[in-house]
Amino acid sequence: MRESEARSIIEKVLKLSGAEDTSAVITGSYKASTRFADNAITQNITTNNYSLKVSCAYGQKVGHATTNELIDGALQGVVKRAQDIALVVPPDPEHMPLLTSDEAEKYHQLEPYFEDTKKFSPSDKARIISAQAEKCQEKGIRLSGAFSNGSSFTAFGNSKGLMGCYKSTSFEMHVTCLTPTSSGWAEQIGEDISKAGFSLVVDRAFNIAEKSKNPHDFEPRKCTIIMHPAAVAELFTFLFWEGFDAKATDEERTFLRGKFGTKIGGENITIRSDPADLRCPTISFQQDGLVAPTLKWIDNGVVQNLCYSRFWAKKKGKKPTGFPTNIIVDGGDTSVEEMIKTTDLGVLVTRFWYIRFVDPMVPSVTGMTRDGTFLIEDGKVTKAMKNMRFNENIVDVLNRVEVLSVPERTGEYIPVLAPALKVRDFNFTSATDF
Amino acid sequence: MKELCLRALDIAKEKGVSFADIRIVKHHTQIVTTEDERVSGIQDSESMGFGVRVLLNGCWGFAASKNLFRKEIEDVTLRAVEIARASSLAKMGSGVVFAPEEPHEAIFRTPVQKDPFKVPIEEKVNLLLGVNKEMLRVRGVKKAHSFMWFKSEERHLANTDGSFIESNTCTSTAECIATAVDEHTAKTRYFEAIPVNAGYEHIEGTPLLKEAQRVGEEAVAHLTAKECPQGKKDLILHPSHLALTIHESIGHALELDRVLGMEESLAGSSFATIDKLGKLKYGSPIVNIVCDNTDPTRLASKGYDDDGVPGQRWYIIKNGILVDYQTGREVCHTIGAEQSRGSCRADSWQSIPIIRQSNIGLEAGEEHLTLEELIADTKDGIYIEGMGSFSIDQKRLNFQFGGDCFWEIKNGKKTCMLKDVTYQAITTDFWGSCDAICDKRFWQPYGVLNCGKGDPMQIAQMTHGSSPVRFRNINVGGAKL
Repeated sequence: MRESEARSIIEKVLKLSGAEDTSAVITGSYKASTRFADNAITQNITTNNYSLKVSCAYGQKVGHATTNELIDGALQGVVKRAQDIALVVPPDPEHMPLLTSDEAEKYHQLEPYFEDTKKFSPSDKARIISAQAEKCQEKGIRLSGAFSNGSSFTAFGNSKGLMGCYKSTSFEMHVTCLTPTSSGWAEQIGEDISKAGFSLVVDRAFNIAEKSKNPHDFEPRKCTIIMHPAAVAELFTFLFWEGFDAKATDEERTFLRGKFGTKIGGENITIRSDPADLRCPTISFQQDGLVAPTLKWIDNGVVQNLCYSRFWAKKKGKKPTGFPTNIIVDGGDTSVEEMIKTTDLGVLVTRFWYIRFVDPMVPSVTGMTRDGTFLIEDGKVTKAMKNMRFNENIVDVLNRVEVLSVPERTGEYIPVLAPALKVRDFNFTSATDF
Repeated sequence: MKELCLRALDIAKEKGVSFADIRIVKHHTQIVTTEDERVSGIQDSESMGFGVRVLLNGCWGFAASKNLFRKEIEDVTLRAVEIARASSLAKMGSGVVFAPEEPHEAIFRTPVQKDPFKVPIEEKVNLLLGVNKEMLRVRGVKKAHSFMWFKSEERHLANTDGSFIESNTCTSTAECIATAVDEHTAKTRYFEAIPVNAGYEHIEGTPLLKEAQRVGEEAVAHLTAKECPQGKKDLILHPSHLALTIHESIGHALELDRVLGMEESLAGSSFATIDKLGKLKYGSPIVNIVCDNTDPTRLASKGYDDDGVPGQRWYIIKNGILVDYQTGREVCHTIGAEQSRGSCRADSWQSIPIIRQSNIGLEAGEEHLTLEELIADTKDGIYIEGMGSFSIDQKRLNFQFGGDCFWEIKNGKKTCMLKDVTYQAITTDFWGSCDAICDKRFWQPYGVLNCGKGDPMQIAQMTHGSSPVRFRNINVGGAKL
């Protein structure tokens, strides 16, 4: 969809609405995903969809409706549904007046859109996958994974004249190499497919799988851990699942209650958001048109900002921030190799799996290591280990980070830029059989 | 619809496919959420489109579009064929072996007495705000949330077997959550109208208002509950809790695509490999696990799966032994089965069908046994209700689960509430320690709404049922820091 088409649809919606305030968001995407397992393509899909969300308000009474039909008759229908809801619900004391067109001046103008990324065809991907699968087959390795590419589009407009558009492309490849006794994993995520290096990703996964053959038992205990960026992203993302919500925190329902402005982590910990960071670009505005936050959540270990909705910011006399659209964990300059050299006894982890809160108020989590876990002894990786379960307090982890690497692009649920970390006394509590 | 479907199938056949199907699907979802005395959101969403799947020279192609008109259907079908050709560049052996299936013409509908989408919004809002009010009436409850969730699916499925299947399903649920806060922490407790395939009558038949006060009181009691002990304890698990344990440690482990490594790169695989079929001692001899996609009130039931295979009822664990898997037409031949068990579903028109969990239940015990009798027969244990923290490794062996509410059992009596209880085990050890199951009077189904699997991720629903069950000597408290 072109920006002009989106604007035209939004303008039609705004004209059709009889509500006092109306806003509309169009989101759309084209996705092409090729999945493979056992050195063969198992799933190969393309899909194209747009959806339109209309919000209508009469005073404080608000209704929302969504459709993926964007023809004129359907537009009338979705506006009517939103209006009908708004007319019968009780007033929402937290509903805020619409933002005005001034807000758009704060939006970044990045457009990480690369036509070649979108056009990369299923055949292009199949040829690349086929070459790597043959290579793996010859080495007795089973290659699994997914290679996807596509584009996405978001347009926002409201009856106060605020309008915003953002479009981007993306590609993602993640692969697992399997031997009879081990696995190795690697990924690459980006916007410009000309920078994709599928064979390098497969080589990384292959090397991990080779090194992690015939894993040994290890008595679970507290010990030093070196986490690759994917593991760090998986773990630290849990800090932001409601943890930084200002309203919930002020109501004493998050682990940050009473901790705003205090030091919760080491001075080497800074976590921030910046949608215009070219290493991790994301959309510049949120669903209500509010500019996406560019700020530090934790600055040198100190809780510097919380996520304020427009309502809660007004109530508390703060500036509204909205919620992060990306997470950037500032890094250091220590390579993983250097981290290993300075470790007497430790565990090197490729990534984590199935992390879940045990108690979000601590915040304690549990999870497993996966796809390459190694023992470090006297500054060297000495053997592969069976996977282990950990139970940890993430805030405590922030205080035990010794050194950090240069950050890399990763992130499963939200774009993340994260370094590898060396952390002391990581709490492994049980082991599994592989 | 039929004409549009047939057009896609004709084009696919002209291109020489060995199999093709088209699903035209419309979803309608309504979510009403409240927080304390306010309605925090009402979202009414519709999505409609179609997906075409083709099998050409043993390779899959799939394409989908929201634009449901003849020319688009033709273009999308040709795109699916083109994608299948691309897939053949990295083909496994002689390609996909797709099990045969009889053609079916059928219509399946969820029994609905009261269409939830026709119930006035005000009625829903009033009930939820009333529930919140009851929870907030309890001293110590500082936050009340509640929601209702309704989803309908209209599906037209046609395939080159000659099947033409229509289904209309409707799922309804509601839930309330009380949060109690003191000077040290915050704790929650929830109650739900269990997700089922039914209409609004299910919400009306659930005592949300009546239970709200108890929910609030238990949230407050949770704040000052005794810490979870560490060591070995007997566990008595209520069906509201065991549903998730069944889901994670049995349901996912016995999806045949996972077992074969087709999900390796994301969701993982399974320890329960096909060489263990008929041999693996999964649990104690009283453990009988049944898949049942024939009961229309359960969430995975839609008459026929998205491979066009009728819903069935079958054992996957019998007398503690692994005896079968959840299968689709693509993989059932790997265990020597001539026909699929019908466990292949897609979560929308734009998703390709993959093997999803069926409605999986633990059969009730044959001997007369109540929960009270089970507790009376337990010297040193913990009783758990509701779902909480859950984590399991990618082969479904090492797991750690929490819950929503916990009570200590000493010398046959529930003595006090506990907090922060977790238990950790290896799957086969855990199910091997099952020594008592209450009888069928206490068997209850629980719906799971958000089961994620696949890449791109698909979210599916299914139901898991059991009676209260006892497990002996399980490690508890390992999560304590």
